[in-house]
Amino acid sequence: MLKKFDPNIMAFLCNWCSYAGADLTGTSHFHYPPNLKAIRVMCTGRINPLMVAAAFRHGADGVLISGCHPGECHYMEGNYLARRKIFVFRNLLEFVGINPERLQMSWVSASEGKKFSNVVKEITEKIKKLGPLTTFDE
Amino acid sequence: MDKEKLVNEAKAVFSREDVACLIGYGKDSIGFRVSPIFIRTRDEADQLFFSPLCSLSLVNYLTLEKGVLLEGNKETGGEKIAIVARGCDSRALIQLFAERGIPREQVVILGVPCRGTIDLKKIEGKFPDARNCTEVTEAEGMYYIRFDNESHEVPKEELLADHCKHCAFPNPLVYDVLLEDLVDSKGAAYSDIEEMEKMALEERHEYWKDKFARCLRCYACRNACPLCYCDDCILERVSPQWVNRSVNLSENLMFHLARSYHLAGRCAGCGECERVCPVNLPLMLLNRKLEKDIKNIFEYTAGSNLDDKPLFASFNPKDPNDFIF
Repeated sequence: MLKKFDPNIMAFLCNWCSYAGADLTGTSHFHYPPNLKAIRVMCTGRINPLMVAAAFRHGADGVLISGCHPGECHYMEGNYLARRKIFVFRNLLEFVGINPERLQMSWVSASEGKKFSNVVKEITEKIKKLGPLTTFDE
Repeated sequence: MDKEKLVNEAKAVFSREDVACLIGYGKDSIGFRVSPIFIRTRDEADQLFFSPLCSLSLVNYLTLEKGVLLEGNKETGGEKIAIVARGCDSRALIQLFAERGIPREQVVILGVPCRGTIDLKKIEGKFPDARNCTEVTEAEGMYYIRFDNESHEVPKEELLADHCKHCAFPNPLVYDVLLEDLVDSKGAAYSDIEEMEKMALEERHEYWKDKFARCLRCYACRNACPLCYCDDCILERVSPQWVNRSVNLSENLMFHLARSYHLAGRCAGCGECERVCPVNLPLMLLNRKLEKDIKNIFEYTAGSNLDDKPLFASFNPKDPNDFIF
């Protein structure tokens, strides 16, 4: 029997909003697919897009970056800076032939446990449809 | 370009300013090649020249003269460096002033309005036997080429370097002395990029796969770039190791993603990376793709304004948000 594709999704969650939001998802017993591997960062503004590229190269099929809603960053503007960088990097990925849908971003606050579980479900479905990332296999 | 004017202005710079060194173009000893020359006395200025063959950017040499520019001038006592700069070079200079904190007045800029430069690979391919006394002048869309008692006329389009075809900034944006009248700018053209954007994702992937598979990872594109100046380059760092040393498709892709992303919102469009590439990778396509997006969406052009904040150090609350959950 053909093995079902189980995607590897790497998530970079901001300490102040999305990581706490993910925690709430757990304590509230909302279910979400176990494909997500979470890494806590202090702020989405800290994420160097090379970390995303490195995640892809080391076997991730998708990457999620999640942080505070615009205007609610613990450091005032980190998420705005992240949005700019990730937007440009998605365009670059698309230009070299990697589907930009593999790099997703979301705003999840510490009180949005339900939203976090929905985001993860949706992204996992998306990546399942796209199939494994084979660009970095050779 | 009038050689006499260039030499006179260079001499004037030496007598007027406290200039330690002037970086300009000089003739090389063979074929169509041009060398950077470093002039330290007034009399040496006679070696200077400028022609459409001057396709290399001199800005890189500016930061190599670290002793004078970046170390606070303790020993040299506030001496300056003069440099011959075309439009693209002036953009690179503006970026350097902003990023590295080089005081603007430390550099004396001899601005050259540029009508486009010749791709050395193209002209050497056409005249492989040219050895001595080559000379190229431009008039009305033609290049007049003379060497070894021969003379030829070639349409400009055939020899023009690719990045010069799309140049939006032929005139220096910052200068102390202007050596010629300003030329008309055609404005930025991205027709080739738009053509590539229309390709299917897989098709584009195949295109780049084919290109990146050829990359030798010689790092010449990085070394020649006037804006890649970090002493500790992440492309070579071992811990953390972003890019492995092995030369294969995935590492090459990682390398080129990192290289082009680091130039997002910084690339001056001088085409040095493409010029020095031994396997002719179209690296400027990547750089110009980002330049185009950044221009359209963030209304930002690298090196166009001395007072601009760097692209990724600034933001607008109205930046695109529709790709985010």
